[in-house]
Amino acid sequence: MIEKLFQLPWHVPFGEFSLKLDPLSFIFLIPVAIMILSAAIYAVGYMRPFKATKSMGLHIFFYFLLSSALVLIVLANNVMLFLGAWEMMTISTYFLIVFHDEKASVRRAGFLYFVMSHCGTFLLILMFFLMAQNGGSMNFNVISHSKFPVLLASAVFLLAIVGFGVKAGFIPVHIWLPHAHPASPTHVSALLSGVTIKTGIYGICRVLWMVGVLPDWCGYLLLIIGVLCGVMGVLYALGQHELKKLLAYHSIENIGIIALGMGVGLLGRSHQMPYLAVLGFGGALLHVVNHALFKGLLFLGAGAVIQKTHTGEMDQMGGLARVMPWVSLLFLVGSLAICGLPLFNGFISEFIIYFGLFHGLFYLPLQGAFSCAVGIIALALMGSLALACFSKVYGTVFLGQPRHLKEWPQGERTSSWMLIPMLFLGGWCLWIGLFPKTMANVAFSSGAYLVHTDLSRLPMENIFLPLSFIISGALLFLALVVGLIILRRRLLKDLRPLPVRETWVCGFSQVTSRFQYTSSSFARLIVGMVRTILFFRREGEGVKGKFPPKVSMRSSVHDASEEFLFKPMFVFLTGLSRKLDINRIRHTQIYLMYIFLYLIFLLAWKLK
Amino acid sequence: MNIVFLILVHWLIVLTLAPLFTGVITKVKAFFAGKKGPSVFQAYFDLQKLFQKSSVYSSTTTWIFRAAPIVNLAAVLVLSLLVPVGVLKAPVQFAGDIFLAAYILGLARFFMIAAGLDTGSSFEGMGASREAFFSCLTELALFMNFITLSLVARSISLSTMIGADFPLSWKLMGPILLLVAASFFIVILAENARIPVDDPDTHLELTMIHEVMILDHSGVDLAYMFYAAIIKLFVFAGILVPIIFPIQTGNITVDMLVFLGAMLVVSIMIGVVESVMARLRLNRVQNLLLIAFALAFFGFVVKMWKG
Amino acid sequence: MTSWVDASCIIIVFLSLIILSNYRVVAMIRVFAIQSLVLGLLPFFMHASCISSRDVLISLITLILKVALVPSILFWAIRHVSMRAEIKPIIGFGSSIVFGALIIAGAFWISLSLKLPGKPVSDLILPCSLSTVLLGFMIMVTRTRAVTQVLGYLIMENGIFLFAVSLFDVMPVLIEMGILLDIFVAVFIMAIVVNHINEEFEKSAESIIPKIGETF
Repeated sequence: MIEKLFQLPWHVPFGEFSLKLDPLSFIFLIPVAIMILSAAIYAVGYMRPFKATKSMGLHIFFYFLLSSALVLIVLANNVMLFLGAWEMMTISTYFLIVFHDEKASVRRAGFLYFVMSHCGTFLLILMFFLMAQNGGSMNFNVISHSKFPVLLASAVFLLAIVGFGVKAGFIPVHIWLPHAHPASPTHVSALLSGVTIKTGIYGICRVLWMVGVLPDWCGYLLLIIGVLCGVMGVLYALGQHELKKLLAYHSIENIGIIALGMGVGLLGRSHQMPYLAVLGFGGALLHVVNHALFKGLLFLGAGAVIQKTHTGEMDQMGGLARVMPWVSLLFLVGSLAICGLPLFNGFISEFIIYFGLFHGLFYLPLQGAFSCAVGIIALALMGSLALACFSKVYGTVFLGQPRHLKEWPQGERTSSWMLIPMLFLGGWCLWIGLFPKTMANVAFSSGAYLVHTDLSRLPMENIFLPLSFIISGALLFLALVVGLIILRRRLLKDLRPLPVRETWVCGFSQVTSRFQYTSSSFARLIVGMVRTILFFRREGEGVKGKFPPKVSMRSSVHDASEEFLFKPMFVFLTGLSRKLDINRIRHTQIYLMYIFLYLIFLLAWKLK
Repeated sequence: MNIVFLILVHWLIVLTLAPLFTGVITKVKAFFAGKKGPSVFQAYFDLQKLFQKSSVYSSTTTWIFRAAPIVNLAAVLVLSLLVPVGVLKAPVQFAGDIFLAAYILGLARFFMIAAGLDTGSSFEGMGASREAFFSCLTELALFMNFITLSLVARSISLSTMIGADFPLSWKLMGPILLLVAASFFIVILAENARIPVDDPDTHLELTMIHEVMILDHSGVDLAYMFYAAIIKLFVFAGILVPIIFPIQTGNITVDMLVFLGAMLVVSIMIGVVESVMARLRLNRVQNLLLIAFALAFFGFVVKMWKG
Repeated sequence: MTSWVDASCIIIVFLSLIILSNYRVVAMIRVFAIQSLVLGLLPFFMHASCISSRDVLISLITLILKVALVPSILFWAIRHVSMRAEIKPIIGFGSSIVFGALIIAGAFWISLSLKLPGKPVSDLILPCSLSTVLLGFMIMVTRTRAVTQVLGYLIMENGIFLFAVSLFDVMPVLIEMGILLDIFVAVFIMAIVVNHINEEFEKSAESIIPKIGETF
């Protein structure tokens, strides 16, 4: 178990430049390092078209600032250092998001991100203040050794959930995510989804590590948040037809899975079942790494696609596999990984979380068992909905025929600068999927460190044995695939060359590519079933009459938190601030008087 | 080497027996229709014919289309290793193998949906869309069943869950197992494209879900798909049989005969249901699957109540 | 015969769930008849060893009334007003099923805290009867046609009857008779009302539960 401390003299009141590398930081450093590297190499190729028109220097500066901020956040051992790095991350991410600031939507998205992050940070400052007061010091180590009374622990937990939840993307404070991802350049989206969101999770984990014992309901709350984020995230994703927004909503779903694992872990800790706690947190932490890997891969692939087609609308793509073979292969790897299918890493972390949930189902008292059952059902539902969503995405974007053109223009091939990071990430996904023992070990030791238990005293063979069976099962599957391919070649050997015809569409003669299913039509059945929850709206009437004129239809899915929670709130606040308009008071003397009164107040307070 | 031998024997038995039961179902349906119907061994002849034919490929398709039948058959073969066949224990058993079972089927399903969209045909897109939708609801019911069975058997390994000490448990947990069996029967009908969820005989757009996704496959590819569907039905029925007919006398031949007889009964039941009901409208199918989920959920509640 | 009683209770709840999610009135009435049949045979399962004349009496009356008489009155009612077979409830069929499952879970949860006097034959009777009552209530409240609303009411009565059957030794016969009479009268009145609505307004059977602001 690693635990290294690093200190530098730094004269800031209440602050110290103290860095600590422990198992919890280690498992978050892995995705940070991998994603920063991959996104940077990718950006070399991706940003080439923009080099002529925009200045890259500022962008590169903030990229490096973000990288250092991310590493500092994960390693920080002091409240002031953490908050400083957090702020640095927020600001640099903002500037990275608004790269295309000539578009109003991009500026709006960046501004929304900025405002929401700072609202969250405000709550975090409150929370850290409470914790430091209780611990008597700003140093994380010292705080973790102090005891937290139950009321304070609960308050800290709630503040952490909301404050870090803004960054992590918990519903309902996730609304900046679906706007920021499509607006920013793709490597920034990949970083956002892969790493920046995870710093929110890291924050919650760090707080859980510091606070120690929490009441029962905290685990249930995290479980409920996990279920809500997971199911709603993937349902919203199904209703999208813009590629990057869909991927953004999927990030919310995976954050839900992580929260689910953390909820199970918390339940294990509050019921004194360290094995359950390690299973839950271990699975959640492994999913943190896995999600960074495959979501990064998917975003990088999406960027390549968007660069080629100059649009993000999936309904205008199709048949890209023929012009972008490598991107389509790697995007397939990412899709299979995100659905949690065997052979890839998503399956491993979901397997561990399932394992934990079933363990809770057997051994927790009635309420806990019931919540675990709900968790299992939710996880199963998320898995199958994600499969529906990604088979839709892959099929609509890469397969079939182009929907609006006859053929894609040949153009230039995707540059190797963009392909190599994707290959790197895809290799990681495959490696963790086929040989999960190493990463699982790291995840479990981090989980054990989080809940302050000793890993060697727990029956970990119970989970490693099934994992080795899964490895053999996966290898057997691959062997079968190879065998069946060989068999097919032998059977068809004498019949080559094989005939190639047009698709037989049951004898229709005037088939065009617009007959194909689009992403909205594919998802129509599922979205139709949950129409009311998703606020599905359709504009445009159907086709009427025997010789109908040209009609058009638009369908959209609206985010409930945005429509019913935040929009009214923002409207109200804007109206309020307009009423309290500063321009109404013109005399400067009044402000001078305010300053004077405030100074008198400070003086009186300090002298008392 | 022992385990390799067991796996090969298991596959041999599954591959030889599975087409027989599809023939039984067809025979039952023919009987209800007043026809003599094709022979019980027709599936064997069909497979033999298909393996000798050439495959035609569409110009729109990519390698995904060629990979889908292989992934499908490989996934179902791996699944068959997790399920016991009568006396023959499952060669691969471990805690949590139900997740591998469910998700490897998901892998097969992903490739089938992708292959459907690959052809650029709206028929297959329709089948793919419906398949994606119904699989969500079927997974719900399936996992709910897993939860209840795992609570009854106190284990999350498939073989233990269905082969546990059931004769005793039927007395104590009769109603719960009844609910689970009913729910699982509906899941079998849904997963294997039987009426009332889908019509396995026609390729009309009104009824197609599974049949239409394989519309463009031919020759060896179609043989793979067909075999995969047959084995999947056999495996699913093989999961249901030990739950309903938990007879273990200890004598190997008697047990094997009982298993074959029970599989026959299940096939006949499926055939009867197929002949008596009509295929439901699509929005009614959704309700049927939700009822399967509600049944399993009810079983879970009763199990939690009984402690 | 605990397992038989268990199985019957579960079948009764299951059939209520089927009625909740069904869309054809004819099928709903038939399922109700089957449910009443199982309910009628329940006294025999409960006292398998010592069947008293009281059991036989109750069973017989239940069977005649609820399996034969009431369904035929309902069939007459729908034939008389030429009711459309398909009806859409207020919350949709899929949501009804999910809600029904949640209601069953809720009923079981409530039953955890309820304690019955004496030792019942099977511990499933209390939660199952509560579930049936709640499901019947939900049917009554979410449907928009008179016949199906009355059907919901009848299922509620079935649930209460299930509960009463388990307390045979403590409850006098008179109360059970009262319940059965109650049912018969309710259905009879409904049939008359439906008949009159049809004649008055030339509409097919509208809801018995009036909308807000509307006089009957």
